[in-house]
Amino acid sequence: MKLKTLNIALLIAAGFLFQGCTKDFLNVPSKEIVEADDSNEVYQPETFINGVYGMFTDWNYGFAYLGITEIISDNADKGSSATDTGTDKDILDALTYTSTTPSFASTWEHWYKSIGRATQAIEYTENFGLTDEVYKNRLIGEARFLRALNYFFLVRGWGDVTIQDVDLIQRQSTAAVYAYIEADLQFAIEHLPLKSAYEAKDLGRATKGAAQGLLAKVFLYQSKWQDAVNMAQTVLNSGEYSLEPDYATIWRATTDNGRESLFEFQARGEEIAHGIQQYSQTQGARGESGWGWGFNIPSQNLLDAFNAEGDEIRKNATIIFPGETLWDGRRVSPNVENPMYNEKAYSSANAGAGDTDKNIRYLRLGEIYLILAEAANETGNSQLALQNLNIIRSRVNLPAVTVTDQVQLRQAIWKERRLELAFEHDRWFDLVRTRQGEAAMRAAGKNFQERNYIFPIPDRQLIQTPEMTQNTGW
Amino acid sequence: MRKLFTLFLFLAAILSFGYAQVKTVTGTVKDSGSLFVLPGVTVSASSGQNTQTDAAGRFTIEANATDSLTFRFIGYTAQSVTVGNQTNLNVFLISDDQALEEVVVIGYGTQKKADLTGAISSIKADEIAKQPALSAMQSVQGKVAGLNIVASDAPGSSPNVIIRGLGTALSGRNPLYIVDGMPVADINNINPTDIESMDVLKDASSASIYGLRAANGVVIITTKKGKAGFLRINYESYSGIKNILNPVKMANGSQYATYVSENLAAINAGYQIQSTGQPYDTDWYDEILKTGTVFNNAVSLSGGSEAVDYFLSFNNFTENGLLEGAKFKRNVIRNNNTYKFLEGRLKFNQTLNLTFTDNKIKPNGAFNTAYRQTPLSPVWYPNGRAGRPILNAQTGLIDYESGDIRVLNSIGNPVYDISRYNELQKSTTLQGGFEGEFRITDYLKVNSRVGATKYWTRGRSFQDIRDAYLNESPTQTEAEFERLRAQNPASASFAYNRLNLQQEETFRWIWENFLTFQKSFGKHNLDATLGMSREEFGIGNRTALTGYDLPAQEQYWNLLHVSGQYPRTVDQREFTHRALASYFARAQYNFDSRYYLTGTVRRDGSSVFRASGEYWGTFPSFGAGWTISNEKFMQNASWVNLLKLRGNWGVLGNQDIPLNISQIIVSPGTDGGAGINNNNYVLGPSQELVYGASFGTPAIPLTWEKTYETGFGVDFGFLNNQLTGSIDYYHKMNRNTILDVTPTLNSPFSQNFYAHGAKVLNQGIEALVSWNKAVNDNFNYNVSVNYSYNKNEVTEVVPAYDGGIGGSLANGEITKQLRVGQPIYAWWMWETEGVWQNTGEIAAGATPGAALPGYLRYKDQNEDGAIDNRDKVFFGSFIPTSTYGINIGMNYKAFDFSVYGYGVAGNKIYNALKGTRINGGENITEDTFNERWTASNPSNTNPGAARDTYASSYYLESGSYFRINNATLGYTFNKLYSENSKLRIYFSAQNPLMFTKYSGVSPEISGVSSSNNQDDARPAGTAGVELSAYPTTRNFLFGLNLTF
Repeated sequence: MKLKTLNIALLIAAGFLFQGCTKDFLNVPSKEIVEADDSNEVYQPETFINGVYGMFTDWNYGFAYLGITEIISDNADKGSSATDTGTDKDILDALTYTSTTPSFASTWEHWYKSIGRATQAIEYTENFGLTDEVYKNRLIGEARFLRALNYFFLVRGWGDVTIQDVDLIQRQSTAAVYAYIEADLQFAIEHLPLKSAYEAKDLGRATKGAAQGLLAKVFLYQSKWQDAVNMAQTVLNSGEYSLEPDYATIWRATTDNGRESLFEFQARGEEIAHGIQQYSQTQGARGESGWGWGFNIPSQNLLDAFNAEGDEIRKNATIIFPGETLWDGRRVSPNVENPMYNEKAYSSANAGAGDTDKNIRYLRLGEIYLILAEAANETGNSQLALQNLNIIRSRVNLPAVTVTDQVQLRQAIWKERRLELAFEHDRWFDLVRTRQGEAAMRAAGKNFQERNYIFPIPDRQLIQTPEMTQNTGW
Repeated sequence: MRKLFTLFLFLAAILSFGYAQVKTVTGTVKDSGSLFVLPGVTVSASSGQNTQTDAAGRFTIEANATDSLTFRFIGYTAQSVTVGNQTNLNVFLISDDQALEEVVVIGYGTQKKADLTGAISSIKADEIAKQPALSAMQSVQGKVAGLNIVASDAPGSSPNVIIRGLGTALSGRNPLYIVDGMPVADINNINPTDIESMDVLKDASSASIYGLRAANGVVIITTKKGKAGFLRINYESYSGIKNILNPVKMANGSQYATYVSENLAAINAGYQIQSTGQPYDTDWYDEILKTGTVFNNAVSLSGGSEAVDYFLSFNNFTENGLLEGAKFKRNVIRNNNTYKFLEGRLKFNQTLNLTFTDNKIKPNGAFNTAYRQTPLSPVWYPNGRAGRPILNAQTGLIDYESGDIRVLNSIGNPVYDISRYNELQKSTTLQGGFEGEFRITDYLKVNSRVGATKYWTRGRSFQDIRDAYLNESPTQTEAEFERLRAQNPASASFAYNRLNLQQEETFRWIWENFLTFQKSFGKHNLDATLGMSREEFGIGNRTALTGYDLPAQEQYWNLLHVSGQYPRTVDQREFTHRALASYFARAQYNFDSRYYLTGTVRRDGSSVFRASGEYWGTFPSFGAGWTISNEKFMQNASWVNLLKLRGNWGVLGNQDIPLNISQIIVSPGTDGGAGINNNNYVLGPSQELVYGASFGTPAIPLTWEKTYETGFGVDFGFLNNQLTGSIDYYHKMNRNTILDVTPTLNSPFSQNFYAHGAKVLNQGIEALVSWNKAVNDNFNYNVSVNYSYNKNEVTEVVPAYDGGIGGSLANGEITKQLRVGQPIYAWWMWETEGVWQNTGEIAAGATPGAALPGYLRYKDQNEDGAIDNRDKVFFGSFIPTSTYGINIGMNYKAFDFSVYGYGVAGNKIYNALKGTRINGGENITEDTFNERWTASNPSNTNPGAARDTYASSYYLESGSYFRINNATLGYTFNKLYSENSKLRIYFSAQNPLMFTKYSGVSPEISGVSSSNNQDDARPAGTAGVELSAYPTTRNFLFGLNLTF
């Protein structure tokens, strides 16, 4: 009996002594997810900067973005099958959208997340201890350029928006947001190298010219006419850029990051492919011989605008027609499902692939000429305006505009912007900026109301932060 | 009288002595389980001698060689032995499973059912055997109140089991399964006929002995063991056929053409489909469905002696599914031995279960495509290519050879999809344990056990990419494929074929020690347990390999033969295992079998809480009981056999929660493209990939989900225990449910994170009533009814976390939302309030897009003139509020007959088969065709052929059903070969009848997708959405059971 008692005591003791070791026993680190603190790799600041660029390849640019920049406008219709709504593309097209329309929430969210990444990359870079000040400031400059670019989307769409550094609920005035954007761009201009000063491997990163060009556009949106003129001229005089001689090639892979390009969203179609997710596929021709879903198609209204101007070159470079043989020899069946498709989204090498080689041209020299023309006209310098406007027109064999009346010239420049930049994700913001929205959209048969000048704050955001205010009319 | 009787016996003995050679037989009688000697057993010889065993269990009796000796003892089954030439007999009696002496397994011990203070349901082997199925959990559907089992008839699948409502959103939903003391992930690897008993611990005071894993309840499985003294060979066999129970009648070609043409006209498509003169009229369900078959054979051998008890069994289960080529095979070998020493004071139990499965998988998506594909498409074209819905728009006939062709929809050809689908999965499970039990004194014993499960699985899938290309369209040629292949040398889309191999292995082990004290002091009875446990599970790794361009013949399908033209991909990962450390104690006290008290405490540590460092949690519980029927004042109420009140309170935990980790998000090595990764980018003139990174959302430390449960119950037995039953009430609150939270949209971080954010309440009632009646020796019957009601409600959500959505229909539409005051992830969608009759109505009303006459009209709940998310309202839950079972059994002479019915009510099912359409060229059911809106025959209920694709209450249907789960008729031939040998043959109809108003294929939807991903069945997933569910089958089985 005594022995037995001893045995029991030993057993119990063994069991409870074991508790001393449980700390090690229970300390099981994850084998699948690398904890931020544990990473054995020292991440270079450049890696996080790359991560901000990476946001350009996201699905939001392949679908929601089309909806709120083009389909919503008079340039484009929803396309695709009548019954395929593309989540909400039908209601964006019809202007019957509301604060719960998903494309607003996903782009709003995406742009804020991009801004978050940029800010984190800036902080990481500042604290990393880089000794090469020039390199350090270049990286920060890139991130600040990208942050400005994303805030520019937000301020154009929603007006007063929150600034992450300031507060997540209190919306800041449009002027304050623009001031924030300008500060970022000024830093970028100061510290980013010229396009030609980068090493070849860095082609595609933000440049001084890109920041100057974007700042010119930001000035234009604020009606800071003289600043816009100056900044546009700085770009033109930098000697870094020149127009592609053939308009039709602007959106082809051969001119990726070409002479006219200030900034593009980069995409690679070849294995290992990393494109802008499905950008070409969602807009590819649908049905027989098709390669895509057929969304975001040119509208009759846009076709009429090209025809009215006699603008054959840009019409044919912008629109794919059924039965057409494309420049690369691809025959488009006459039986495709829709009457027109967006040629600027067409990728020759990987037409319907999820990852294509289609770089989205975000800002190119052609637009800088038009910014200069428009701003110059507003400052009363119609000669300077005409000179730059006609550079763009002469490329596509259109007769020079000669009107010097400020109002008429303004209309001519706006029309030129539409035809030159069709399907370059600028039309809707132009309609809003120039207050042409109501007239243009009504001409396209859409019921445009005053509230359509500004996007609704997404309902999902307001559920999370009920104290945030909604835009007027929503 | 008694003297006279003795005299008679004496005379009889003398008489018999004269006829035969009488000898003296001696022996011992013991309990077959405990091996305790049994004094006072009556021993009678067939020739008339009678005696009783003495205090040492010994007996001596005079008997003939031809005599049989019968041993009788209260609480034990009588047993007869033929004397023959034996003079020394050792007899082991088996105790009866009398209802009130029934013993239940309660975790680290057993208890008499009469002494329980908690709610535990026990199911015995014969109940499980009466409903043959792959998994025993499917066999018990409808037999236990409070157990909601959603079965799937897909070969090899395991049912979803919810005990007392669903209280968690993300964490594990399944109960904890304990097999012979060892926790396991599921019991699919166990042959149901190897199961001796299944005990379901439903309430907190019972389950809390399993502490932080018990929140979803505990199912304890005890497998069969040999019994001393009885060699028994049992052979079981059944085979049967399976058919779809509730087929849906689809529209035929002509109806389809009419319907789709109406849509084409409404949207001005500019062409029509001819409703007559079409070359094909295919019934796709006819084409893909075949009669499934099932074969099951099991043999077991059991017996024992003073030293060793043994049980050995083998089982083969083979099922050929409803889809051509789908086949599931399972072979199970089990060996359970008990080794006894020191007159039974020291015992070693060893269990070993070896399972092999072999699963040839066919795509369940075919049930979806068969529903949708047009009947106008041929199965195969004359040129041998797969039929496609290609129309000649000029003639309106199906014809791919003309110029003006239109593809009617983008749905696949289900026959082709099934025939070319090539996937195999094989698994091996080795499960076993070793337990030592030492009885130190008659009131104290110590147990120590180790158990482990090792699981290996291998999968292989092969895709013939070129064949798929050729069958995409009858006009695509090999030359065209070769041209594309040459043009895109790097694109795997134009490889000839693709081979994917997967291997996974997992391991788990447990080590437990516990002391059990059991003693009575007068009328005070005390039973106490104290122990510790260590466990690790989820140890393992997974490898997936992909290669391209192998020779087409199956024997070459290994990565050795892949082409170097395409990259081979390897994905290998080690799993993060979980470690658990626990201490537990339980004391059960009763006074005079009248007043009961139970207290349990378990202290658990889990490695999942590493981030916070707060590993440990304590889970107490209490139970109390009062057996009124044992009170003196009840003695005169002879009709009351049992009346007992129970109450309990306890805290249960759930540690099966996701890991929350702050991480840096990268995708080095394998980029995978923009679709899965927006960190990387391309730069430079040749656009080389550059790797990027971003910061993940900072993790919030998580702790246990803790569920507080209070319950009351009453057990009763009246009229000689002919009427028995129990009623239970419970209130079960998960106070800190973990949610998958989306960071505020305008904040910097994008990754969802896990946070405690909600309270989920389950309240319910469970009732069970049985009536057993033995009318006479030839006829007895029983009727039992169980019912349970459960109300599920989210009672609180952290404000910024509210509104999580779920129930994706995979077409951009969602159907569920998490909201305070609603059931967890309740249905949430637009309310249908009719059908638009004309353009005037549409212009005056609110529509979510451009509507046409015949479209469904949605209610503008906030009357703002627009239909958007703010107009969506709640429509209850996919979880039934009521589940019930009705069981009837009877025996007449050698016949036995039983019927089991099962039903659910109060839930809704989203008929996404009917609701989701893409191109509008999908097929519809005949009912949809007949009931549709047309301009000439307007309906204000059903939409027309032209309609939108939004989720709405129109497609949400009642999920109530009542089904006869099983009807069995059996006949038993007794004493075939020896006293104990018998043969039972039976005929069973499984699911012969179902009553439901649901218009889809099956109202029993687990939500587990065709890829068998359990995550899909999360409340936020597709639970309750019928999209491509495996249909419920109707089975007819013929079986036999031979014992000797």
